[in-house]
Amino acid sequence: MWVIVPIFNEGEVVGPVVQNLAHHFANVVCIDDGSSDKGAELARQAGARVLQHPINLGQGAALQTGFDYVMQQPDATHAITFDADGQHLVRDALEMLELAKSERIPVIFGSRFLDKRTNPGLWKRVVLKLAVLFTRAFTGLRLTDAHNGLRVLSRDALGFIRLEQSGMSHATEIVNQIAKSKLAWREYPVEILYTDYSRSKGQSLWNSVNIVIDLLLK
Amino acid sequence: MISQWILAIALVLVGLYLLRAQRSASQQAIVRLFIIIAIATGFVAVVFPNLTTLLASFLGIGRGTDLLLYALVVFVLFHIVHQYRRQRWQQKVTAELARALAIVRAEIEDVKKPSGN
Repeated sequence: MWVIVPIFNEGEVVGPVVQNLAHHFANVVCIDDGSSDKGAELARQAGARVLQHPINLGQGAALQTGFDYVMQQPDATHAITFDADGQHLVRDALEMLELAKSERIPVIFGSRFLDKRTNPGLWKRVVLKLAVLFTRAFTGLRLTDAHNGLRVLSRDALGFIRLEQSGMSHATEIVNQIAKSKLAWREYPVEILYTDYSRSKGQSLWNSVNIVIDLLLK
Repeated sequence: MISQWILAIALVLVGLYLLRAQRSASQQAIVRLFIIIAIATGFVAVVFPNLTTLLASFLGIGRGTDLLLYALVVFVLFHIVHQYRRQRWQQKVTAELARALAIVRAEIEDVKKPSGN
């Protein structure tokens, strides 16, 4: 079981996030996507295995490198994707992994819209809901949250994932490839902690335009 | 008018090219043939300048210059799309390379200190 944390200039926050993860999970791998700050070193000190892209490629590429690395570990049964900005709860990740194992569900997607804990604000809610509608139309999977960085993927599921979009379109790409694999999946209610930091790094509406065009143009 | 049809179709073809996913041998062949034909046509147009005007009026365009302008617009668009696709392909290759490097580095580290995580 490996936790995959893509990092890109996340030095401000990555230390405590990784420390907390390493406290609950034996294996944490950070993929440093060509950061110019000390984030990689901080993640290493916090107890993570750190892989470094020599140049910045985008979060999708960082995740794929993480998936490749996990697939190389013979004892790895599951991978959890977890954002470095501290917006996810480790407790949610633990519960999702438990569910994946006990009910043998290969894919668990985190969703912030299954309960009332998360309040993204009106504007973000509108953008995220549009993304959900787009993802449903594009992939056929009836998700409630399309861009949640917290996911549990079994080894079987990883075998079906090959991210070609280096940028931010990977969330829809993962859903699409899981849809094609016909593997069983479930959503699990998670909370997103909105901090000033995660807000500043969040996705804008402009980015959704890029995502749509990326996916259409391949 | 015939010319409007031809131009519209040419533009649609450029758009379709943008949406095509893979580079294939046939595609490469078409691009090369296109270049050869363009050069040959240009050569003929230089040697017999009247031909462009003749062809233009046959197609329903006023002057030969206008025909050349339209052809140029279509070609420039085609070129932009072609370069865009090349660039995206290049990005993909670079990404594969960088990702592979990250993995190999990790493997080297593992060999150097086998117990280290």
